[in-house]
Amino acid sequence: MKLPNRTFALFIVTAALATLPWWAGDLYKLHLAALICAYWVLIGGLNLVVGYSGQLSIGHVGLLAIGAYCFAILAGTHDVHPAFAIAASGALCALCGLLLGLPSLRLPGFYFAMATLAFALIVTEITLAQGNLTGGGVGLSVPGFPPPFDTPRGSYWLILTLAALVTWLSWNVARHTWGRALVAVRDSAVTAQAVGVPVFRAKLTVFVFSGFTAGVAGALFAVLQSYITPDTFVFDLGLFFFVCIIIGGRGHILGPAVGTIVLTALPEMVAPLAKLGNFFYGLLLLAVVLLVPEGIGRVFELLLQRLRPRRESHVVKPDLDRLAKAIEHGRSAR
Amino acid sequence: MLVALITGLATGALYAAAALTYNVMFSTSKVLSVTTGHISMLGGIFGAWFISTLGWPIPIALLGSMVVGAAFGFLTDLIAIRRVLARSDEHLWLLSTLALATMVQQATGLWWGTEPKPFPRLIPQDFSAGLADQKYWLPIAIAILLAVALELFYRRTLYGKLFVAMSEDAFAARARGIPTGRIRAMSYVIAGAMGGLAGFAAGQLTFAYFALGLTLTLNGFIALAVGGLGSNVGALVGGAALGILSAVATYFVGGEYQQTISVGLLMIVLLLRPAGLFGSQTVRPV
Repeated sequence: MKLPNRTFALFIVTAALATLPWWAGDLYKLHLAALICAYWVLIGGLNLVVGYSGQLSIGHVGLLAIGAYCFAILAGTHDVHPAFAIAASGALCALCGLLLGLPSLRLPGFYFAMATLAFALIVTEITLAQGNLTGGGVGLSVPGFPPPFDTPRGSYWLILTLAALVTWLSWNVARHTWGRALVAVRDSAVTAQAVGVPVFRAKLTVFVFSGFTAGVAGALFAVLQSYITPDTFVFDLGLFFFVCIIIGGRGHILGPAVGTIVLTALPEMVAPLAKLGNFFYGLLLLAVVLLVPEGIGRVFELLLQRLRPRRESHVVKPDLDRLAKAIEHGRSAR
Repeated sequence: MLVALITGLATGALYAAAALTYNVMFSTSKVLSVTTGHISMLGGIFGAWFISTLGWPIPIALLGSMVVGAAFGFLTDLIAIRRVLARSDEHLWLLSTLALATMVQQATGLWWGTEPKPFPRLIPQDFSAGLADQKYWLPIAIAILLAVALELFYRRTLYGKLFVAMSEDAFAARARGIPTGRIRAMSYVIAGAMGGLAGFAAGQLTFAYFALGLTLTLNGFIALAVGGLGSNVGALVGGAALGILSAVATYFVGGEYQQTISVGLLMIVLLLRPAGLFGSQTVRPV
């Protein structure tokens, strides 16, 4: 009963997203949609770290910056093919994720959050210090995608495809043994270890995966921005990714996706909110943490449950016919 | 070289004061609040506002800064800690204090402006005093004063002993009839007043700058983790070590890698002594 509904909804959403360039109206909205998809490439990976394994990384903007600069340097300065440059950004950030995760994932919650915060600040420092590589405070201009994807529509479809790919990958991780293991690590690391989950390895693997997606997202983000400076990658952006996931709900994929769309689009649509900026994100985070710590997704779940009460009844009725048949069957067999 | 050392020591004293603030809040609630640095930021900014804009006399402005800090500490407990600690989820306090810190920083930025503004002179002194300048020794003196006062408070007064009892075992303290909620609120008020005082005293060194909070939260935490969580001596030593190390490194390498070096120090200490220099070993859950 449930499956066709879900497939149908998935089909509708996919069709709507794929045809977005025709009904979005103006180019700015299309750019916004592409930006949301690029963010989602990062957040989809980060969701496995924050939402599933419960490691509160607030400094993923550092990995985003590394990916963006890697793409800009390879594709811009050294004329490497963009497809290869995107892959290289992903690989480099996966490596950085590994190097960052090896010491810091052993630390308890607050220590880990501070380590990732420090990482984001260090990346900003290094991009400023290594002026001849990154352009320092002046920044770097970023080349666009090659011909089939060089129009706004083309780049939107490319980024949308990558976002869909990340969603599919993270969904696959989340619903199988890995995802269960991660949730177990989040809820109680001791219990998870006791039932044989390799806690550190599980955390490190998803962290490296999130590093890879952050690198790819950095390359896409750089192309969309078309010019990057260290100021593009302020710490607030890392906080934004984090808030999207927490508000959407930990342990879901749909919730953070909705969170990303709403939090990116809302300040653009409602001008007073853009002025408040971080204050708005902070307020939203505080409200969610105090009122519904499970995230907005949980509110919808509860509403749905209330609107659609369960059909199956819990009254135990004796099925006398089957019982009689079973007894007869047993007798004849003997 | 001597200038680098003195600057480092003064900055380190501010970090140490932030670490002490962490300690006071941690002792009663086992919460490391992200708002720690923002308390001192508020102390500095409100101090500058009271003196320069409102023209208050300095002692009143100092008191005002401490009251602002204490009020913010009380608000932190009221909004971000009280309800969250009642739930069993472990790291919700990190999220709620982070949210509060973000809101305060942004609101201060909107109100005060995003540029650092100068902090007025507190004691009449010539600007040519060099190394004996008040901007260096005021934070150092305040950090030592805070540490000594805290030790006396913990050892000599009844309320201090209640704090210690709560940091040992909050449930046992509650069973003995200690109003744990009220003591926790009180610890946040005290921490707020301390942070406000430190921010006020270091105002001439840091300027009244809205983004100081996050830097101070991070560096105060590094000082705390290096010195050992819960230890006041450790906070002083950790802060001084961090300040001097980054100042000396700036002197030799240049200012670009300050953050990298301080985090490097943290990582080395955590690898060698996970509990910090003066911290007590924690018991593993299994």
